[in-house]
Amino acid sequence: MFGDAVGRIMAAVGKLVRALVYLALILPAVIVVATSFTSGDAMRFPPTGFSLRWYYAFWESSLFIDSLTLSLKVAALATVLSLLFGFAAAFAIERHDFSGRELMRGFMLSPLLIPAVVLGLGLMQLQVWIGLSQTFLGLLIGHVVVTLPYVVRTLSAGMVLFDRNLEQAAMSLRATPATVLRTVTIPLLVPAIISAGVFAFVTSFGNVSLSVFLGAGGNVTLPVQVLAYVEQTVDPLVAAVSSVVIVFTLVAILIADRISGPKSII
Amino acid sequence: MKSSAAEPEGGKKYWLPLLAPASLTLLVFLLIPAGIVLRISFYPGSTTIGAEGYSLAQYGKFFGDSLYLSVLGETISYALIVCLGCLVLGFPVGYSLARHPPAKRRLRMLMVIVPLTLSLVVVVFGWLVLLGRHGLVNNLLVALGIVSSPQQLLFNRTAVVIVLIQQFLPFMILSVMNVVMQIDPVLEQASTSLRANRARTFFKVIIPLSTPGILAGLSLIFVMAVSAFVTPRLVGGPRAQMVGGFIYDQILSTSNWPFGAAMAFILLAVGFGLMAVLNATIIRPLTRGLHVR
Repeated sequence: MFGDAVGRIMAAVGKLVRALVYLALILPAVIVVATSFTSGDAMRFPPTGFSLRWYYAFWESSLFIDSLTLSLKVAALATVLSLLFGFAAAFAIERHDFSGRELMRGFMLSPLLIPAVVLGLGLMQLQVWIGLSQTFLGLLIGHVVVTLPYVVRTLSAGMVLFDRNLEQAAMSLRATPATVLRTVTIPLLVPAIISAGVFAFVTSFGNVSLSVFLGAGGNVTLPVQVLAYVEQTVDPLVAAVSSVVIVFTLVAILIADRISGPKSII
Repeated sequence: MKSSAAEPEGGKKYWLPLLAPASLTLLVFLLIPAGIVLRISFYPGSTTIGAEGYSLAQYGKFFGDSLYLSVLGETISYALIVCLGCLVLGFPVGYSLARHPPAKRRLRMLMVIVPLTLSLVVVVFGWLVLLGRHGLVNNLLVALGIVSSPQQLLFNRTAVVIVLIQQFLPFMILSVMNVVMQIDPVLEQASTSLRANRARTFFKVIIPLSTPGILAGLSLIFVMAVSAFVTPRLVGGPRAQMVGGFIYDQILSTSNWPFGAAMAFILLAVGFGLMAVLNATIIRPLTRGLHVR
């Protein structure tokens, strides 16, 4: 029948589209890693030969290594701060019924909707006024702002799924609220905390849109350095640098996936 | 609706200080900066140093120049095309992910999440390699005899749109997946058992029920796409510019912060304007009549 034919065509087209989408999603990263091992001087695919010379060039380049160190430092600190701030906020929002609770939830997620150019320019001007311009602290604050919404969202979701009876049981056994928090609540939320932390880390580690404004002058993170470099030239050195970024991101995501499953990361 | 029985005895407002660090951070380093951008955009001159007074000079400059207006138009059309592309390509993927058994979903989820979390510059760099003169796409086209010599595939509108779609696709996929997971498969089975064919079930049952997720994804993608600047800068070249790139130049190269601020605010208004319209015309009426859990 006609309808069945349409259905079958839809199924086939759907399958093709899905295959193409998955391919397009991972192809850029796969190509970058593949070309980073080239022994030639030019970016071409398929690459010529196999060597680690561009990784060696990366290791020798203090420009990129300094940026990598800075990026790791900012990402680690931003993760810790936004986990602390985000856990407290998510706990208050999920556990207490107060007026303006939904407003507060929306406020916590609002950095997702402010374009980086707006946030970047506003923070630059504010930091000039309060003397944080082009400082490490200024950059770190920006990263906390952009990672906070992910942390609050993931932790909130984790707290909603949480079995409150376990806390009640602990309470009824005369555990103090602090003991309950330390021995029941937090341990049970470990998967959500890890997911939130990993997402905050990779978001900060990869951020370019905001860092490009806040890092102008001295604090150049790795993605900003890559951007500046790619604007001049496209060569296998950037492929090697990018591959390192890919590996860091992938490892972080795989850790979260192992511990708490892929669904919980988002 | 959480019962107040969950409150500890006495119901002390001990949760208030818990909210303080996060909300103060956002207040001081998000809301105030946004307000500052608005304020700066009303400065009359081309610098913020020692500037005072209010003037519409920056907005006049933007809306009085056909170049800026055409770039704004282009930017909005890019964003709309990107939204459409993400919807058409992302929906089938999000839907199938939601209906996959969890065990088979794992690898696919990773393929969606990793590009989402990977640094934007790395992804764009990957596209520069893919679409470059000696890249995979050109080599394939030549090998298949479709073109006789490598073509310039970069630095045009199509390239910008393709790369933006790939960047934002995961948002649409996850958004659709989340909403479809809440649709009971029983509804689809019911539709099929009532002899509706697959196409009819799709358009009459699945699409209407997943509209909230689709719209959430679309508005997020639109807001992000209008303000994109890294991608158009690297992939678009001088011929395919977006407002975001102009702002970036005004702030970091020309140091004309007031004009950059006015453009940034125009972008913000365009993005939020569309969201408000969507919300008032489609989302609210739709979610009002619909009580899906």
